[in-house]
Amino acid sequence: MAFAASTLELTSDERAMLEGGRGPVLERIMRTVVGYAEALSAERLVEITGNGHFVITCALPGIAPSMTMLDELVEAGLTTSRPFTLDPLPPLDFDNWFLRPDQMRKLEGMYEAQAVHMERMSSLGLSAPDACTCTPYLPQVGNVPGRGDILAWSESACVAFANSVLGARSNRNGAIMDLLCNIVGRVPLTGLLTDEGRKASRHIEVATGSLPSPQLLGAAIGRHVAADVPLITGLDRWLAPVGERSTLDYLHEMGAAAAASGAVGLYHVHGITPEALDEGEGVLLDEHDTYRVDDQILHGIEAGFPVPWGDVGAAPQKCFVGCPHLSLEQLGWWAEAILVRLDEHDLGRVRVPTTLAAAPGVLRAFEESTASAGRLREAGVRVSPACAMQLFDDDLSAGERIITNSSKLRTYTHARYFRDEEIVRIVVEGRV
Amino acid sequence: MARTWQGRPVLAGDVEGEAAVSRRGFNTYASFFSSIHVPSGSAVCSDSGNTDLHEIDLAGKILCVPKTTGSTSSGAVWLRLVTLGNAPAAVLFSEHIDPLAAGGLVVSDIWSGRRIVTVDRLGAEFLEAVRSGDHVHVRSDGTVLVAD
Repeated sequence: MAFAASTLELTSDERAMLEGGRGPVLERIMRTVVGYAEALSAERLVEITGNGHFVITCALPGIAPSMTMLDELVEAGLTTSRPFTLDPLPPLDFDNWFLRPDQMRKLEGMYEAQAVHMERMSSLGLSAPDACTCTPYLPQVGNVPGRGDILAWSESACVAFANSVLGARSNRNGAIMDLLCNIVGRVPLTGLLTDEGRKASRHIEVATGSLPSPQLLGAAIGRHVAADVPLITGLDRWLAPVGERSTLDYLHEMGAAAAASGAVGLYHVHGITPEALDEGEGVLLDEHDTYRVDDQILHGIEAGFPVPWGDVGAAPQKCFVGCPHLSLEQLGWWAEAILVRLDEHDLGRVRVPTTLAAAPGVLRAFEESTASAGRLREAGVRVSPACAMQLFDDDLSAGERIITNSSKLRTYTHARYFRDEEIVRIVVEGRV
Repeated sequence: MARTWQGRPVLAGDVEGEAAVSRRGFNTYASFFSSIHVPSGSAVCSDSGNTDLHEIDLAGKILCVPKTTGSTSSGAVWLRLVTLGNAPAAVLFSEHIDPLAAGGLVVSDIWSGRRIVTVDRLGAEFLEAVRSGDHVHVRSDGTVLVAD
């Protein structure tokens, strides 16, 4: 690549890798990382100090590296400098997703290399065979970066959470580059890794009458700021500082929606997130604009979501909740809300087959800690450690009327969005 | 006559083609969600939120965007498109290239050996001036010529 204007300075160790002194595969990886740094106008690379989290779980080229590439890395004896976690597994637990035989066969074909893919991931440094979720920082999973840790993460929702809520530092790295940076243990020093790159240039003033839906607020923020860093004020009227589970869950949903609707890798929340707590107004650049988000704006966003069904009143056929994955507390909320609603209607089963997705460790804790798990199963609600989004790849669910509470899933698929409380009503009553 | 802009060659090359212009952030994953599975020769933009490009075939086009947005899965998308043969011929950014696009395009370049020519920092005026359907010539020094 070699930019004429490149000012990238490399250490002797980095240069040795780049010049092939540690083998041809590492030379190619270092060339890729250096090309990345030059494209981003970085002046140097810095050492990664926290474990990794990557988006590349599925053995599907276009989503993850090809098997040829993974084989090349493994055969060269390479591993990441620190262990890593991965995004959720593909939905090969067919029963939990209410699939037709033709859908099962198609999934088996698409993911025929999945077992080998996971073997390669284990060889490269996957921290545990089931460390696969988009909520790696939950206590049941345990990949919790510390404040100031330098990361090379992917998965937009995770990057936003690690930066904003945990105070770690990661750019929005893409699939494959995440893995390659973590193999050399270095990442370009630029953007959200720098003090100046973490200052907010946009002000979001939340002026709603009550705590807004995190999904809709996130969509509003993502659309308005795109990749810029916002300071969000007004949420501390309802949310406690980071540390409260309900705050963490709210911010996880809001951040995922903001990242999917725009490219938000970091947000500060006045009175709540660590850098906003420490720096106060100093986290906001003098030169900024202000966007006032009220109930009318959020209503407009919700009303503008496309209805991807010919007949808007047609009954939904499936419901997917848990994109991103639910925490144990959120899973408990959904279980109780659905079971209470069923009791109110004197019904034994939901009318819309429903899947709630969460990390494997969260699902184990749920099964062990509550009697609701068994009742939920009997009521026709399944839980799964997989990723709902993969069910839309290659037209797998074409024509199916699927509802979701996820702004992220709605953004990428033909799933139709409803708010949480509406979802509960719809799955019990069977009509929109 | 052609109008000329000067950008920074990120992945330098000489290529000509038809412009496909998005004036909002280009959501790579949402746009190519339907184009990464089988070799079809086309890459019809599947992002219903992008009113500029939705349902337009982006294969072989000169894609003109401010920057990219959306899922980090898109890092692998560029490599897959190049492998399937339905990638855009070039991506022209009015702003500084973002990490997601930079990572994906550099990985694609080095691990496939086939280049999607990439130029950034062409400026807001470029994106305001260029129209979908315009004939665009990208030179290896980062010069971009748009035919009148």
